[in-house]
Amino acid sequence: MIDLVAHLLAFAVGTVVFLSAPLLIGYLVRPSKPGAEKASIYECGEEAIGSSNVQFDLRFYVIALLFVVFEVEVVFFFPWAVIFGTTMQLADTRLSDESRIALSEHLLSEPAGSLDLERSISAASALQLGWLGFADLAVFFGVLLLGFAYLWKRGDLEWVRSANPERNLHSESLAKPYPSTVALGESI
Amino acid sequence: MNDFISASLVINIVLGAILGGCSYLIYVERRLAAFIQDRVGPNRTGPAGLFQPIADGIKLFIKEDVIPGHVNLFLFILGPSIAVFTTMLAYAVVPFGPPDQIQFTLMGMNLDFRFIIAPQIDIGMVFIFAVGSLAVYGIILGGWASNNKYSMLGSLRASAQVISYEIPLGMSIVGLGILTGSLNLERLVLHQAEQGFWGWNFWAQPVACLIFFVAALAEANRLPFDLSECEQELVGGFHTEYSSMKFALYFLAEYTHVILVSLLTTLLFFGGWQFPLIAEVDSAYTGSALVKVGVLLSKAFCVIILIMFLRWTLPRFRFDQLMGLAWKVLIPLGTANVVMVMTVKHFELPSWWMFPLSLGLVAVVGVLSVPNSKTRYGALGMAGGRTRIAADGVLPPGLGKRIPM
Repeated sequence: MIDLVAHLLAFAVGTVVFLSAPLLIGYLVRPSKPGAEKASIYECGEEAIGSSNVQFDLRFYVIALLFVVFEVEVVFFFPWAVIFGTTMQLADTRLSDESRIALSEHLLSEPAGSLDLERSISAASALQLGWLGFADLAVFFGVLLLGFAYLWKRGDLEWVRSANPERNLHSESLAKPYPSTVALGESI
Repeated sequence: MNDFISASLVINIVLGAILGGCSYLIYVERRLAAFIQDRVGPNRTGPAGLFQPIADGIKLFIKEDVIPGHVNLFLFILGPSIAVFTTMLAYAVVPFGPPDQIQFTLMGMNLDFRFIIAPQIDIGMVFIFAVGSLAVYGIILGGWASNNKYSMLGSLRASAQVISYEIPLGMSIVGLGILTGSLNLERLVLHQAEQGFWGWNFWAQPVACLIFFVAALAEANRLPFDLSECEQELVGGFHTEYSSMKFALYFLAEYTHVILVSLLTTLLFFGGWQFPLIAEVDSAYTGSALVKVGVLLSKAFCVIILIMFLRWTLPRFRFDQLMGLAWKVLIPLGTANVVMVMTVKHFELPSWWMFPLSLGLVAVVGVLSVPNSKTRYGALGMAGGRTRIAADGVLPPGLGKRIPM
């Protein structure tokens, strides 16, 4: 474990060195002639008006909120997938004894060589565990997809929205040619 | 001590290969772009323009680094550094060859050489996602610290895009986790290699492969997903105010990401170093390890060329299409894919079932996306490609006409 951390640390240090070297060499060799025009905000030759720290559109915020929910969900999927996959390999009756022992040790986090065939997970009990995992995820998915359907219906996934919230709920009104509502553009 | 020397040997090889690879990829891309657009491309510096990357590098070194007066200096420098650093860090768990250990003697020391920096990390893919998510900070910080409206808008778009595509990216890997029972990249490759050519994950998971590739391209901010820096609207997007070496760092990050994406696509879905006849699990002839490295890198290079072709062939997405693709197409598709794999594995159906089932999923999504002629929206709520945003009437008359394409 220490070995692994040391490898990662060494790589991180190496990366920092590799990246700071060009910055440092560049700092030594390049000219520096600052000027009032160079120091001004680049806006295609126009004088910039106001600060750039403007209010941004609320939709970005909604996306960030949705991201947190779904990303956490994906993070829950990873360990589940690994364990379910291993369980399903164990549930296969054609599995050789050596692989069964190795997979059981892996699944139960036992040190290698500590289990024998007697104490490793049998195909029948693996199948039971598999059912549990299957049911777990079905419920998890059910709850999640319910929320997803609600978001979709509410119109939170629509990027182009009108200012009138009623319109977003009825997609047939999208067919109307030119209603009087105004689009929420990117507010600059 | 010997461990330390062999580790630093691997680290130096990886870092050198990435940096060298990036600069030459820019050259390859410029030549390819020229070929596609019927131009010549850089061909003056050295034979066939081969020294162009060196000339570019020197130019970037000796260019003045303009730091405008209105920026937040600390964050301004931190932005590009984070962007490159996080992308580079992901290489720690990416194997670039077979899991063999090569022993050799260098200057009287017996060294063990492995084709990976941090071997046997069970959370390999999770580590890559975790580090990859941090890359969005590079963009946000760069855009915010620049104190420029173009940069600000570019970074907002980029961060919305990157976090949206992170979800399908993660979803596409879950199926592989179920199939392999591990997220360790070395084991993921070995699992495919043991089953030979038809054991490549691509055959069981074509949809996951497609989702992964698309989402990873979007993560890398590559065309057709480069909304964050679309030149016509936002000048340079989040790197408008950057110049000289800091500008180069952002580009380094982009190309590092492209190499990472192609390596991962190869490792996860196309069997990694395995190739029928010449590079099998049990091929042990002299130099077989090098052949396997060569096979892996050639496959990855093919993916890179594909990415470049896509860049110069496809037009850019519109922002609502971009978000719609992530939330309304890729995420449901990824979820359906996970359920499909889960069901097939749980009821112990033969693995080949997954291929037709995956094609069925794609077909269903395709049918649902066909725009309705009346509303111009498909059943998934995606706007038809040939109409403007104004097609639903949110812009004034006149602007809402169909535009010829």
